[in-house]
Amino acid sequence: MSALHLAPDDRPRSLETMLRIVARIQRRSALTWVLVLGASLVGTAAGVAALYDTTAKIHTYAAAVTTGSTLVAINGKVEGIDSLGGVIQDEFGFMVAFLMPLLGISLVARATRREEECGRLELLLGGRIARHDPTVAALLVTTATIVSTAGLFAAGLALFGVPLAGSVLYALSVGGLAFVFAGLAALLAQLTLHSRGVYTWSLIILAASYALRGVGDVTNTWVTWLSPLGWAEKAAPFGDQRWWTLVIPLAAGLALGAAASWLAGRRDLGSALVRGGTGPDRASARLRSPIGFAVWIHRPAILGWLAGGVLLTGMMGALSHQFLGAMAGNPALAQAIGIGNGPPMDGLVAATQLYLAVIAAGYLVQAVGTLRREEGDGRLETRLSGVLSRNRWLASHAVVLLGGLMTIVLISSLVLGLATALSAGDMAEFGPALLSGLAYLPAELVLAGVALAVYGMRPRLFGIVWAGYAAMTFIAFLGPGLNFPQWALDLSPTTQVGNPPMGAVQSGALIALSALAGVLVAVGFAAFRRRGVPQN
Amino acid sequence: MTDTAPVIRVEGLTKNFGRVRALDGLDLTVRRGEVHGFLGPNGSGKSTTIRVLLGLIKATSGRVELFSGDPWRDAPRLHRRLAYVAGDVALWPGLTGGQCLDVLGSTHGAFDERRRADLVEQFQLNPTTRVRDYSKGNRQKVALVAALAADAELLVLDEPTSGLDPLMEQTFQRCVRDRRETGVTVLLSSHIMGEVEALADQVTIIRRGRTVTSGTLSDMRRHTRTVVRAVTMADPGVLTDIEGLADHQRERLAELTDSRFTIDTAHLDTAIGRLHEAGIHTLTVTPPSLAALFLRSYGETPGPDESVGEESLAETGR
Ligand SMILES: Nc1ncnc2c1ncn2[C@@H]1O[C@H](COP(=O)(O)OP(=O)(O)O)[C@@H](O)[C@H]1O
Ligand SMILES: [Mg+2]
Repeated sequence: MSALHLAPDDRPRSLETMLRIVARIQRRSALTWVLVLGASLVGTAAGVAALYDTTAKIHTYAAAVTTGSTLVAINGKVEGIDSLGGVIQDEFGFMVAFLMPLLGISLVARATRREEECGRLELLLGGRIARHDPTVAALLVTTATIVSTAGLFAAGLALFGVPLAGSVLYALSVGGLAFVFAGLAALLAQLTLHSRGVYTWSLIILAASYALRGVGDVTNTWVTWLSPLGWAEKAAPFGDQRWWTLVIPLAAGLALGAAASWLAGRRDLGSALVRGGTGPDRASARLRSPIGFAVWIHRPAILGWLAGGVLLTGMMGALSHQFLGAMAGNPALAQAIGIGNGPPMDGLVAATQLYLAVIAAGYLVQAVGTLRREEGDGRLETRLSGVLSRNRWLASHAVVLLGGLMTIVLISSLVLGLATALSAGDMAEFGPALLSGLAYLPAELVLAGVALAVYGMRPRLFGIVWAGYAAMTFIAFLGPGLNFPQWALDLSPTTQVGNPPMGAVQSGALIALSALAGVLVAVGFAAFRRRGVPQN
Repeated sequence: MTDTAPVIRVEGLTKNFGRVRALDGLDLTVRRGEVHGFLGPNGSGKSTTIRVLLGLIKATSGRVELFSGDPWRDAPRLHRRLAYVAGDVALWPGLTGGQCLDVLGSTHGAFDERRRADLVEQFQLNPTTRVRDYSKGNRQKVALVAALAADAELLVLDEPTSGLDPLMEQTFQRCVRDRRETGVTVLLSSHIMGEVEALADQVTIIRRGRTVTSGTLSDMRRHTRTVVRAVTMADPGVLTDIEGLADHQRERLAELTDSRFTIDTAHLDTAIGRLHEAGIHTLTVTPPSLAALFLRSYGETPGPDESVGEESLAETGR
């Protein structure tokens, strides 16, 4: 740490030091983001280019997805959809709308509030790093990551024959989207006390942006311009190419970032504008029991993912009637979103349940990741130095994880059933909606098993689980629409379920998945009993 | 209790982390009812030893007994009889201090409500404040109060005062003495000599994962040297004729004389007598520091992987 011994007035060196530190902390996650996002875009582009290889096919696609407003609400209104780039933008629209902002949010939150929370920032600021340097450095490193991602995007699109100008504008517009949210997260990191607060508030704002963009696109009004997602869309890289729109996210991101570093330079370390008040002076009996305590730890994640699930199923259900009308008028639509032939309502429920499975699996991976954080932060050591055995500790968390999973899947499926019933005017889809949700449980548990096994054996390698989850998400969202080869589709446990209620539930596969999940969980427990604690 | 077996017995303990050998044949015996100081520079293996003792990590080789049982096999049952404060106190930021005390209390098994209330008062903890709003010292106090309130036979404290201010350190020392009065055994790890000196009956000093020496503090002192600096009214003259005195330096200040020397603890009395005759103006007697113990007794400087903090180099008696 000799680099920390700086002369007091050595300002540029201080920022440089901080930059080096942040770059080191973030190296791995930044690289993962760049590679995962780059690979997703290249995969999408390759799929689209192979599938829509004639102008006639592209035209059919364009006509299909612009029928009705359901897909416009979900993927956005793509100007110039009648081109290869436009199709890619549309297909990738949903993923990009969440992943690019998340890149900005997570990299900034990690390097700022999270570091401050752990007290590591205190150490650095004691070493004569100026107060606002961590914020500036976090933003710079995040910007570099965004630029690299955008570079890969532009190159990837150009590689598959999308015109260069459009490719570059597209990459810059989605890069701008990430930049705005990076600035927002930096500001929120100054206002809230906890990195969890940064995530919660940024994601709420992201959800609001998504809703605003959807409303604006469906109603064809200026409302779209209120949303950062709208700014990216209005750049119209494959339509009118409005380069000037790039100024908006740039200015917004810079303003937010400047406000953040201004605040960082003025407030006390460890303080926040929004702070929680006091609380009870004794723990309830529930909190003192291992299971009750596990519930307390996982409750925020369960509620957050549940909100995501209900939002998804409620929206899809509510739009189902309109969607049916659109498909009746244009058979190519079903093809384009990967539903294929069959009763259209079943197709819609099946697609929604697949998305819900992705949400539920994401909850499981994140929840097991929480255990890793308990260990890495040093709390597990204290917990296991008492009367609680390792088995009981892990088992109480496993029970709560399972309970959370059931809650998320059941309530979301119920909402889907009710919303489709209300929208379509009959209860025909209620049972299938509920049952198909349950059918995905074994597939979701396989992911929980993988996460637990990795946690039990080598918590340090937990990144592998997230990579596996990313692959599963990619296959689930884009695989069917882009006609992936069967072996690639089969890699995801969700494929094995059989796409209910459109396809028949593969009960043999469900049993095999359950058994696999059971084995993985057992491996996780056995390994956890044998390894040293703490490891991180 | 008629049980005479040691509470902790460690013999020839080794622990490898991959290719790093953290413990290299360490011995440690703690008998019932004693406060045992476990001293060593940073990185010498104190926390690792304690984790093996608690069954958190598995020994590579050697014998480890806690209450005559095997901590790796039987951790939860043995843990019922002890309370532990980890070196890096980490608590749940969203809980209040009081909630944390109860959650920790539930992991320690039983605890005494009256003692808990007393300790909260003595350590000046506000139990309704959220942990995320606590300073480091306050978080440490929560862990200490939880352990001291527990109905335990053994307290395992890993560098427990690193975040406390001097006033709270006094409180801590008083509370540990109170607990010892009731027959509790204490293993106190530290890299600060003064703290161990104030509390411990027995001391084990380790270095690079090995026990260097073990015994009572005064036993160890006997072989080491005390640093004396005195400013006297008159010139005490050349002191080198006193047995066991060395490194003598003398300097005349206007009216006064400044003398410095090191001396065997056994002959301190003679030297102070001579200074007294010359009329003492100011006197600083620095007992041997941990660093000095290493440097003098083993004739080497601390290794590059170890650091002996300024505070332990300049430890003064109290
Ligand atoms: N989990 C681990 N992996 C690798 N090395 C470790 C691990 N834990 C401790 N060490 C190493 O073991 C040595 C002893 O560490 P520790 O017991 O924490 O020392 P102390 O508590 O005396 O400061 C150090 O060199 C440290 O780097
Ligand atoms: Mg230690």
